Amino acid sequence: MNDVLAIDGKQFHSRLFLGTGRYPNPFVQNQAIEASGAEVLTFAIRRVNLSSPDEDAILQHLGDKTFQYLPNTSGAKTAEEAIRIANLARASGLSNWIKVEVSRDDKTLLPDPIETVKATEILAEDGFVVLPYTSDDPALCYRLQEAGAAAVMPGGSPIGTGLGILNPYNIELISEQLTVPVIVDAGLGSAADVTKAMELGADGVLLNTAIAKARNPVKMAEAVKHAIQAGRLSYLSGRIPKKKYATASSTIDFISK
Amino acid sequence: MKLLINGEAHDLNVTTIEDVIAHFNLQSGLVATEVDGTIIDRSKWSETNLNDGMKIELVQFVGGG
Repeated sequence: MNDVLAIDGKQFHSRLFLGTGRYPNPFVQNQAIEASGAEVLTFAIRRVNLSSPDEDAILQHLGDKTFQYLPNTSGAKTAEEAIRIANLARASGLSNWIKVEVSRDDKTLLPDPIETVKATEILAEDGFVVLPYTSDDPALCYRLQEAGAAAVMPGGSPIGTGLGILNPYNIELISEQLTVPVIVDAGLGSAADVTKAMELGADGVLLNTAIAKARNPVKMAEAVKHAIQAGRLSYLSGRIPKKKYATASSTIDFISK
Repeated sequence: MKLLINGEAHDLNVTTIEDVIAHFNLQSGLVATEVDGTIIDRSKWSETNLNDGMKIELVQFVGGG
């Protein structure tokens, strides 16, 4: 089946965006990336630790395989801060993709809608490929598409909670309404959550903690890969309508009386 | 030269941004720089002269979601 995800004219055979934070060590991380089949990897931008510069330099561990890098603007509390981080990320020469992430609440890390739209508009205008992390509000997601987002990334639930998709109605509606890809980002906790997102019509998912903090990150990465395929196939196949009462699977024609 | 690098005071024997990168043994291909709030493209590092008191930010990609 030739079912590819296209963003910014690039085609991806994997529908998983994989985060690179919080793994037990770089070795496990690389194995998990491999097992997941992810072609897009996300990062944060931070100050170099000058006393041990190699400690956090994550890219040195990644080896030869080429990935699409998706740096985020985490830590930004305003559009202005997000734009500064985006420009620093682009100056690295590694990617012109940016995940806009603006949050003013450290407890929930929920995205600030006003600042997110503002940053998306300005960065898209400036030639970035913008993928905003947003709350799961259908009208807001539509506005982000209008603002020039290359894909829109509504959260299933707050970052790192593993609470799954709290509002499946909204995720389904967003997936139905937008013409740009919808990537469910944040809060997914397991393969079941991932399948659910794909069955609701999402074009992809972004996971980090669910894989990095699983008891076995490498096996969870593989489970997620299969969950995406299962959910996607199920979505494309069309589920049956839900009914209140039973329908027999066999006809009763040859039952003796 | 007295510089404020990533919020820390440093006194280094350097002339350009490129010298600062070399001083800290950073992998130049992975780092982005800002001098007094302006991003300096990697191609300009060797010609960007520094002065006493300048504020430098050195950032890189780290693990994140």
